[in-house]
Amino acid sequence: MKVIIGFGLVLALLIVLPSVQNVMAAGDTPGEYLDRKELIWGLFYRLMIVAFTVGTVVSGMIVWLVLRFRESNPKAKPTSYEAEGNW
Amino acid sequence: MVLELQKPRPIWQIMFSTHHTDVGLLYLITSLAFMFMGGALALLLRVELFSPGVQLIADSMTYNRIFTVHGTTLIFLFILPSASAFGNYLVPIMVRYKDMAYPKLNAVAFWMIPPAGALIWLGFADFTWYAYPTYSVISAPGPAADMWIFGLKILGISSILGAINFVVTIMKCKHPDLPLSKMPLLAWAYLTSSLITLVAVPTFAAALLMLLTDRLGASGFFNPAMGGDPIAYQHLFWFTFHPEVYILVIPAIGFMYEIFPRFSRKPIFSHSSGVFAFTLLAIVGFSSWAHHMYASGMSFTEKTVFMVGTLAAVPASAMHVFNFLATMWGGRIKFATPIMWAVGGIALFFSAGAGGVVNAAMPLDFMSHDTYWVVGHFHLFVMGTILFGTVGFVYYFFPYVTGRMYNEVMGKVHFILSFVGTVLVFFTQHILGLFGMPRRIYDYPAIPEWVQMNIIISIGAFIIGIGMAIFLVNLIWSSAKGKPADMDDPFELGGKYYFPYQAKNPSH
Amino acid sequence: MSGHSNWPEWIYVAVVIALMCYVGAEAWNVERLIEHVPEDAKLITVTGQQWLWTFEHEDGTKEIGELHLEKGEAYRFEIHSKDVIHSFNIHEYTVLMDAVPGRVNHVWFSPNVAGEFDIQCREYCGLIHYNMRGTLFVEDKGA
Repeated sequence: MKVIIGFGLVLALLIVLPSVQNVMAAGDTPGEYLDRKELIWGLFYRLMIVAFTVGTVVSGMIVWLVLRFRESNPKAKPTSYEAEGNW
Repeated sequence: MVLELQKPRPIWQIMFSTHHTDVGLLYLITSLAFMFMGGALALLLRVELFSPGVQLIADSMTYNRIFTVHGTTLIFLFILPSASAFGNYLVPIMVRYKDMAYPKLNAVAFWMIPPAGALIWLGFADFTWYAYPTYSVISAPGPAADMWIFGLKILGISSILGAINFVVTIMKCKHPDLPLSKMPLLAWAYLTSSLITLVAVPTFAAALLMLLTDRLGASGFFNPAMGGDPIAYQHLFWFTFHPEVYILVIPAIGFMYEIFPRFSRKPIFSHSSGVFAFTLLAIVGFSSWAHHMYASGMSFTEKTVFMVGTLAAVPASAMHVFNFLATMWGGRIKFATPIMWAVGGIALFFSAGAGGVVNAAMPLDFMSHDTYWVVGHFHLFVMGTILFGTVGFVYYFFPYVTGRMYNEVMGKVHFILSFVGTVLVFFTQHILGLFGMPRRIYDYPAIPEWVQMNIIISIGAFIIGIGMAIFLVNLIWSSAKGKPADMDDPFELGGKYYFPYQAKNPSH
Repeated sequence: MSGHSNWPEWIYVAVVIALMCYVGAEAWNVERLIEHVPEDAKLITVTGQQWLWTFEHEDGTKEIGELHLEKGEAYRFEIHSKDVIHSFNIHEYTVLMDAVPGRVNHVWFSPNVAGEFDIQCREYCGLIHYNMRGTLFVEDKGA
């Protein structure tokens, strides 16, 4: 449990720290204003990469499971629960 | 079997019955009727939005009324009653009791739905299903608005009465030999969603009453001209309606907890994970409501708190996905219609959740709030997960209710058309939202990308519509003339059920 | 209780939690950055009403349905509503904030590309919500 929280914190820090440097450098003078659109869409693209990666894994897993464990698959064998007749 | 059409029972016997199977049947027929009606409204909207300019609907007020009644109908008159339908039928069986705890109250709770539905449909309000003030107070035309408010008041009471019935039946009437930890997950779904209802819905009841008195001019809760705050309504509304979306989805996930193990020919991977996930979701679901209000002028700290609350609910939902996939692993799956719907539902559930995480990220809300991204996102939940789970369960339950099998080919065609249509409509709507098209608009400028995507979406909607027409034909024809089913094992899976699906209806 | 080992499920949940931490941290950081209003941002008062937008610049100039701004300057909007809730949106600059009667909301941005951009309403406000639009003109400095 502690490992998970620690891992999460480390991950969060690794992301936050480089961006914090970003804002320290950003100024309030013309030409150095933060570009709202760029920041928001940048975040969007980063999250989309994560979402599509996870999505590919999950969808791929579902497709594989459906094909491998369908009863018409040549490798299909009865589950141990079918022998008892109760699941 | 409560609906054996070839040996019909007198209609008043069903209508005046308090037996849980009959009340369940009444809920089921009502909810399916409203499903088709609400869906038809969606098709009207999609014809109008096919391209810029007027296609079908002559004025924007009619359009606004149609989308308001579409949303209100499908949430309150289809999803909630369909959950109640199967709950009423199955919960007493699952806890091994003879009926619901309060059978007469049960019938009363059902009979509140048709008049409430009539109020909503005869009024046809236009202020969206949220009914946000100050529009709903100072600008929305009555009596439509007031009829909607009364209709929802009645539906709220019906929900609360139903929830009380479920909680008491499960907690107090269950068989002494059945520990809660061994109760089927579908019963757990009803327990948790009913508990959420009892905590969340009264808040909206209060908000509705305040809205009504505001409209009458007797109070100024939400009207700044009388010292009120419209944002207060949003908090009250979303405090109910964020947990409400869990009330909507939890029964559908519960249906999948019946379908996956049954058709995979093995038990659910982890019963205790399912219980834990339902309970955690019910609790954490109360911590995220104001993520619907990110654009209303909240402070950074407030937004952060609700973002954390939103993200905290994701692991609980993710646990259900794991449970289903792990159940299929190592099984020998018969891909009959019900499990096709369940698998499709889980795949779409994931996409819906992923889009939701994007919305939850506060700055991204500036991009997506009140655009078609949100419409696509929540429809992937209500259509992709909830409707798919519910329709799959309707197919599954069909033989038990009617004694006959539905037509399998039509069921599978219905699934394919619905899945393809759902992806075409709602995934495209995400992209349309990224291009900035707001929701709830009657017409739009001829921006090329918007036009192209709207055409695709309208075509997808009609594909879904054709599937639904096939469903309606299948339901009606098969109830009367379908092949008689083997009541012990209608899907020919082998094995026994761990609880009998067949209830003893005293009039049958 | 299930009798089999559950370690894949624990790893899965840990990965989901880690991803949520990542999303939360990233979002928190970007929000913090964009909420920092530059001190020299010029004030524009935006008023939404059924069904049009009006603007008032710092120097008192008023515009209806159109907003003329200079490229490279920072502007902060104070957003008001005269009647119902509207939502002020310049999608191509990702500017969005509700106009709530009885309340003033704030948002700022700096347009860095010249041209014409759509202003639209993003909260249902009745009959002509769908056409409560305007145009933002971003002009090069000195133009």
